[in-house]
Order: sequence, then C-alpha cells, then structure tokens
Amino acid sequence: MRSGRSPAISTAAGTRDERRARVDPVTLDRDAASADALLTDLYLDALLAGAVLDAAREGADPTANPGLDPAARRAADRLRRDLLRVHPSFRFEERLATRLAEAAMSMRLPAAAGAEGRLVPFRPLPYADLPDDGDGDRDEPRDRSRPFLIGGALTSAALSLAGAAFVAWRRGKPRRSTAPMVRAARAARSARLASTGSGASRRGRRGPARAPRSLD
Amino acid sequence: MYSYAYHELGDHHDAEDATERTFLAALAALPRFQERARPADGDGASTFRVWLFQIARNTVANQRRRQRRHLTAPLDAASAVADGQDVSAGAVRREDAAAAWRAVERLPADRRQALVLRFVDEMSTAEIAGILGRSEGAVRVLVHRALRAVARDLDRGGHP
Repeated sequence: MRSGRSPAISTAAGTRDERRARVDPVTLDRDAASADALLTDLYLDALLAGAVLDAAREGADPTANPGLDPAARRAADRLRRDLLRVHPSFRFEERLATRLAEAAMSMRLPAAAGAEGRLVPFRPLPYADLPDDGDGDRDEPRDRSRPFLIGGALTSAALSLAGAAFVAWRRGKPRRSTAPMVRAARAARSARLASTGSGASRRGRRGPARAPRSLD
Repeated sequence: MYSYAYHELGDHHDAEDATERTFLAALAALPRFQERARPADGDGASTFRVWLFQIARNTVANQRRRQRRHLTAPLDAASAVADGQDVSAGAVRREDAAAAWRAVERLPADRRQALVLRFVDEMSTAEIAGILGRSEGAVRVLVHRALRAVARDLDRGGHP
C-alpha cells in the first residue's frame, strides 16, 4: 500500500521547499517586522485612546500581550507623555482668521459657492460644554486629556484647529446679548409684532423689510 | 496644524509662519480639493484633514530647507510641562521631556514626521499613510522602527 506523494511530486515539492528555504529568511523577517509593527500599531491605538490608562487604573496589566515589543512600548509610553500638542496664542488665531477672511475677499470667491454649501456640525466634544471654573484649568473627565499648550500656558482644553474656525465664525456672527433688559425688550417687540398682525405678510407685499435694529 | 509645524520647526514664530502659509495655500487651492472618502469609511468621514496636512508637510519642508538651521530641543515648551509646585520634580520632568524631543528630532525626516503625526496630532495610520504617500503597512513599520530607535536613543541617555 502506497502512502504519501509520488516520487515525482515529492521531488517537485522538495524543489519548492529548497527554493522556499532560500527565500524564507527575508520573507520571514519581513513578515515578523509587519507583525511586530501591527501589534505596536494596535497598542498605540489603545494608548492614544486612553484605554491603556484605564486598564492600568483598573488593575489590569496593559502589557499582557507578550508579543508586544517592550522597547517600542516603552518609547510609546514616553512619547505619549512628552510629545505635547502645542496650541498657538489666541491672538495669532484672531490674526490668522482676519487674514484668511481678507484673502477670501480678495479672491472674490463666487457667492454661489457659499450658498450651495450646507452646515456640517462639528463632532461634539464630551467636555466642551463644561463651565470654566475661572482658573483656566478645564479638566477633562476621566483624565484622558493630554497636556496641551496654549501660547505657552498649560491647559487641557480640547481646542485645536477648531479654534481658528470658531474665531472666524464668531467674528462673522452678530452678537446676541442675553442681558435681562435686552431679553425683555426682545419679548416686548415680539409681542407687539404679534398683536399688530402678520408683519411678515405685509412686508412680503411691500418688498424686502428693513433690517431690524439691533437691540444689543 | 500649528502643533505639527512647531514640532517640525522647533520655534513658535516659524510655526506661526508655516501655519499661516499653509492655510493661505489651502484657501487658494480649495477649489481643487476633491473629497476621496468612501461611504465605507463611515458617516462624516473626510479626507480634508489629510489634504490640509499634505499642504502643511510641503510648507514645513520648504521652510526647513530655507532656514537650514540646526534645530534645538524646544525647551520652552518642555518647561511648561513642569509642575510649578515641585521644583525638583519639575526639573526632572523638564529634562525627560527635552530628551524625548531630542530623540525624535534625531530621527530621519519620514520617521520623525510619522511619530509627530501619530503622537501629537493623534492621526490614524491610514491618515498618516495618505499624508506621507505610503501604504498603511509601510507606515506601521515606519512608526515601529522609529519607536525602537527612540527607545535605543533614550536608553543611551539621549546621547547620539
């Protein structure tokens, strides 16, 4: 009873094995490097998302993966701590926003380009709405924040590129006061308009209305 | 953006210049921007940030070439890390940070850029691949090797 491969096939396989044996060291090295890099990448994803810190806080061993290169892990932990995000000063942001607005004006971008657009909401930040306690130090919940430099001052606010966009938006938006007197005046004006009938329809017949005087 | 420029140039004023140039260049090139995100990338996915950082990378590279200056560790930023309450701990922390910054600064340009984008701008491997014009696998290996080089450098006490 014959078992196994025929001599011809074995010979061919042997030849393939021999050929593979000549190639394998390089291929294996490359595969091993890719595997190491993949493990490091997964660790970095967890580290930068704060999952490693959470695990350490809960007593779990974040180094449980034995395949993770200890040197890479050590350097990653160090760089996460020491490579800080640096934020420019707000004065620079204001200046840049003005400069960009002027540049956009001088480019005479067609109005239709803006009119066609649609509002895209910013992704909400979980701690963006926390009230400032006045000392300029807005701690992020769960201490996942990384130190953050603003014009040389250390804070943990989550402002970055959005800052420039926010400043530009704020400059173009008319201020709307929330002072009690102003709110009362607005309410009185709304009530007056409602009691005098549909002002909007009259305005519609007469053409465009004058812009309401600002109460601010 | 500013943060990336600052880590690449090591100077607040240069970083501000580079940031301004980048945004102005992006504004001028905005009509040519093409969204390349696919529906499979998820709702709200966009390649705008990658496109913007590609411009920033070119701007910063040009500025570095123009200046030809030897970069020093940005100690002013490192100093802000220190805890003002504990002077001795602050000094150690400051020195640690400066050593890490020096180790990154000594890396070849592609490795340094990959690390800054990964750690400072917290970009994904896919985004970095788009900015550097490499495959995701190549970026993973680049970051891994950069980290090993930094570890070696730091183990030697930060001396080249």
